[in-house]
Amino acid sequence: MSDMSARSSVLIDSLTLGFSTRETMKHAVLILGAIVVLLPFYVMVSYSLKAPAEIMQQTGGFLGSQEPFRDDFCVKLGNAVEDCMVNPIVYNYTTAFEKAPLVRYLLNGVIVTVSIFLIQVIVALPCAYALAKLKFWGREAVFGLVLFCLLIPVHAIALPLYIMLAKLGLTNSYAALIIPWTISVFGIFLMRQFFMTVPDDLIDAARMDGMSEYSIVWNVMLPTAIPALMAFGIFSVVAHWNDYFWPRIVITGNRDLFTPPLGLREFKGDADGDNFGPMMATACIIVTPLIVAFLLAQRRFIEGITLSGMK
Amino acid sequence: MPGSRAYLWFIGPAIVLMVLILLLPIGIAGALSFTDYSLGNTSANFVGTENYERIFTRTTYEKMFGATFRYVFVVVPLTVLLGLGAALLIHSLTRFGDLYKTIYFLPVMAALIAMAIVWEFAFHPTIGIINATLERGCGTWLEAWDWYAAGCARTFPLWLTDRDYAIWTVAFIGVWQGFGFNMVLYLAGLTSIPRTLYNAAEMDGAQTGWERFRLVTWPMLGPTTVFVVTISFIRSFQVFDTVEAFYPQGGGPSKSVYVMMFAIYEKAIQQNLMGIGAAITVVFLGFVMFLTILQRWLVERRTHYV
Amino acid sequence: MKKLTTAMALALLAGPTLAEDKIVIEFAYPYSHLFDVTYEKILPKFYEAHPNIEVKMRATYESYEDGTNTILRESVAGTLPDVTMQGLNRQAILVEKGIAKSLEPFIAEEADFAKDGYHRAMLDLGTFEGDVHGLPFSISLPVSYYNMETMAKAGYTTENLPTTWEEVIAACVALKEAGVDNPVFWGWNITGNWFLQALMWSQDKPTVMGTDFTLDEPEGLTALNTMHDIFRGCEMQNLEWKAALASFAAGDVGMMFWSTSAVGAVERSMGDFTLVTNEFPGLTDKGPMGLPAGGNSAMLVSTSEDPAELDAAWKWLKFITSGEGAADVARTTGYMPPNQAANEIILADFYAENPTKATAVRQLPLLREWQAYPGDNGLAATQVIYDALEGIVTGEFDDMEELQEELSEEVQDLLPTGS
Repeated sequence: MSDMSARSSVLIDSLTLGFSTRETMKHAVLILGAIVVLLPFYVMVSYSLKAPAEIMQQTGGFLGSQEPFRDDFCVKLGNAVEDCMVNPIVYNYTTAFEKAPLVRYLLNGVIVTVSIFLIQVIVALPCAYALAKLKFWGREAVFGLVLFCLLIPVHAIALPLYIMLAKLGLTNSYAALIIPWTISVFGIFLMRQFFMTVPDDLIDAARMDGMSEYSIVWNVMLPTAIPALMAFGIFSVVAHWNDYFWPRIVITGNRDLFTPPLGLREFKGDADGDNFGPMMATACIIVTPLIVAFLLAQRRFIEGITLSGMK
Repeated sequence: MPGSRAYLWFIGPAIVLMVLILLLPIGIAGALSFTDYSLGNTSANFVGTENYERIFTRTTYEKMFGATFRYVFVVVPLTVLLGLGAALLIHSLTRFGDLYKTIYFLPVMAALIAMAIVWEFAFHPTIGIINATLERGCGTWLEAWDWYAAGCARTFPLWLTDRDYAIWTVAFIGVWQGFGFNMVLYLAGLTSIPRTLYNAAEMDGAQTGWERFRLVTWPMLGPTTVFVVTISFIRSFQVFDTVEAFYPQGGGPSKSVYVMMFAIYEKAIQQNLMGIGAAITVVFLGFVMFLTILQRWLVERRTHYV
Repeated sequence: MKKLTTAMALALLAGPTLAEDKIVIEFAYPYSHLFDVTYEKILPKFYEAHPNIEVKMRATYESYEDGTNTILRESVAGTLPDVTMQGLNRQAILVEKGIAKSLEPFIAEEADFAKDGYHRAMLDLGTFEGDVHGLPFSISLPVSYYNMETMAKAGYTTENLPTTWEEVIAACVALKEAGVDNPVFWGWNITGNWFLQALMWSQDKPTVMGTDFTLDEPEGLTALNTMHDIFRGCEMQNLEWKAALASFAAGDVGMMFWSTSAVGAVERSMGDFTLVTNEFPGLTDKGPMGLPAGGNSAMLVSTSEDPAELDAAWKWLKFITSGEGAADVARTTGYMPPNQAANEIILADFYAENPTKATAVRQLPLLREWQAYPGDNGLAATQVIYDALEGIVTGEFDDMEELQEELSEEVQDLLPTGS
């Protein structure tokens, strides 16, 4: 924090306006922005606490009345109505965990996102190093290819990819969730930009010491690239943790392979009525690990992008 | 060991995967775009360029290009400017910077499928939080504004289902979701500007904040801006999730939000018309490539980006 | 529950042979939020009757569209389930592509098929190319929903609810005068053509005959004009269905014309008002002459060659569409089973206690097919109709004769040329 305030004082020290007035105005603008940004999150958390009738009619304020309501699912199974009265908060969150086995889905989410990230790094890091630091015939062409691939939208190639995976008999497996993402052109691009800023001397010194190119990548470049990797990691994890489109395409058989966002669909009823309470509870649960991770990583993360030197 | 063949081992896996996972499917799509293949059929007929002709003649596809460009040309400038603005403000703060940073990054992290439902409720024409709030302003000085008075007299807009508003509403959500991403990139760019440059600028007589921004901050952020604009372009051309969440059928009122990615999805996946879906894919790629090359050509004369 | 334990005990007693012979069939259905409870109720009964069959539930489909697309993808991948539940208007595609199997051989083996409550009208909903391919499981019909407190503002009671569209428009005007801003929501957007077919069937006219799109005939113009008059006369807002259901639940909308399947959702989420459902209005005071059935149907898509497995799949198919299995549909959802025996005998008391769900049952004699548009472009044709109807709501199209001409031409263009 201290280095930051030092830097900002450079911007501020000679200002004609009073320090506090200016600072207050900035906060006012930022708070206004924060309100707009947070509005849907406020609604999301609020819905996860309320009863269905309060959600549909948009009544009950933030918390709702918390009066017990009738759980139709329970009644339909033949239980007495008195036994089926539930408290909205308890109902929404327990349903999220029980009806959709959310713990299992979260675990799948972790397995899939972590595997994807590790493989992406193993593939992208050496490639980025070669593109940044090695001179070879066709290097520009390869880099051009990377830039071209950056443009390809996943939705456009979903069906051909599905058919390819199907021919290999890989649908409905972890492999189907991971394989299409093993190559991250964004990762290669980002890491290459980072390696461009690493001084050649460092690599030359390593070569003098007789290190092979292979060990230079993993023993010299990898450690220096940790901050940039963290930046890439957040982007990769956020994208795949929240991905709804692809898992829905490839996971058609076994519910045990669902990733967290697919848990949301358990509560969809389309024109016959969605079950919004548990759905929003699920959404809250899904985003929490990401927020925690971001808070933990954010200092080094921003540092990471900085060093990757988009310059 | 310069001159060794190590690079082959380094770029090899990446190239193989790129070809298999990205280029091969694009190739398949390219081939299918000349056929009438439909999933589940055993064979397909060669139809020549019929699919392409349709794209460029039917009015539906005219709407598709219109919606895509409207979205892109609203979302890209706004996400870039708001990202930059937020980054500048947060960077100059002495306290609470981390808090704002986290808040503004939240939309990037949230699962869009859930947020779309929330927005739908928020934009509900009568009981949604947005119109309900607007209604509270009725009868006050705000009615001096014609638009507001009209809203009070009948109803406030059906943000998501009125063809005059829908695309802008979706674009607003795109901005809401995207500018935090750019803010983080800009914050990183700001952190890397050496302090000495500001001192030097001051010596040269740059007294106001604006002058310092113009002389130091903005030029130093040039490379970041190029990166941010490129990524924003690509991301907003690929907009799909919000459109599918709001308008699972049809692409919005009078097709006003029928963006290209949704068109591909609708044809190839919803309606099983692989041929036409593939043709739109090819056109899409052509467009994005053209724009990217154009943009790089424009900026490369000024910055050493690559 | 006790019965289930007994059955399990029996199964255990019967020894290892049974356990070894256990046949597993795979099954997939849409909308878990709606139907999970139904199958949860049916399964124990099924296991009791067929202890040697195990039904493995696959990931549920998110919607009917998702269901059909998933089956098409799975057919390419060779990972089809044994039994799938498909939207009634999606069956034709699977039959055309040869994925769904004919059920005739199984029906031929059954001794009292008709006595089990399978009647002609029900079987017609799943008959393609002359053979029964699907057994309808849950059926919905368009009905009217009324908020009686709102209706009372314009002097309406359960005695004088509108029975024709003209009366509906008159009611709109009366409600507007009484200060109701949004008197009506008319569910044109249910898959884009269900309500169009409702207006066509109301005049006893199928929307598709062979490969002919019949909108270009006089009945088509009547249908379009009726819609136009409702939207304009009622100044109906173009609401997306989620928003429409929310508006109705909040008491904002007086009359809603929608599928009976949402009764459960509306009852669960509505505010403090009296909900009454009533027959779908008609073009004349005789009421509609027919109405399209919505809902889903069980289809056999197994790729297995094993007669035992196919037989097990058939047993499951039959169990859920007749007797107690079918009755549970009505008990747990807003849908009703098409099965006559289930409706008339098992469920008689149920409907007496749940009048909001009985409306659709009274309309059962009007049951007609929810037609699909033939050929590869069938779904694209649906979309064209959807876009046109939306244009009427938003005011983009005002001249119905012109729209009739354009729309019929464009849709006809997408259908296979009649041979």
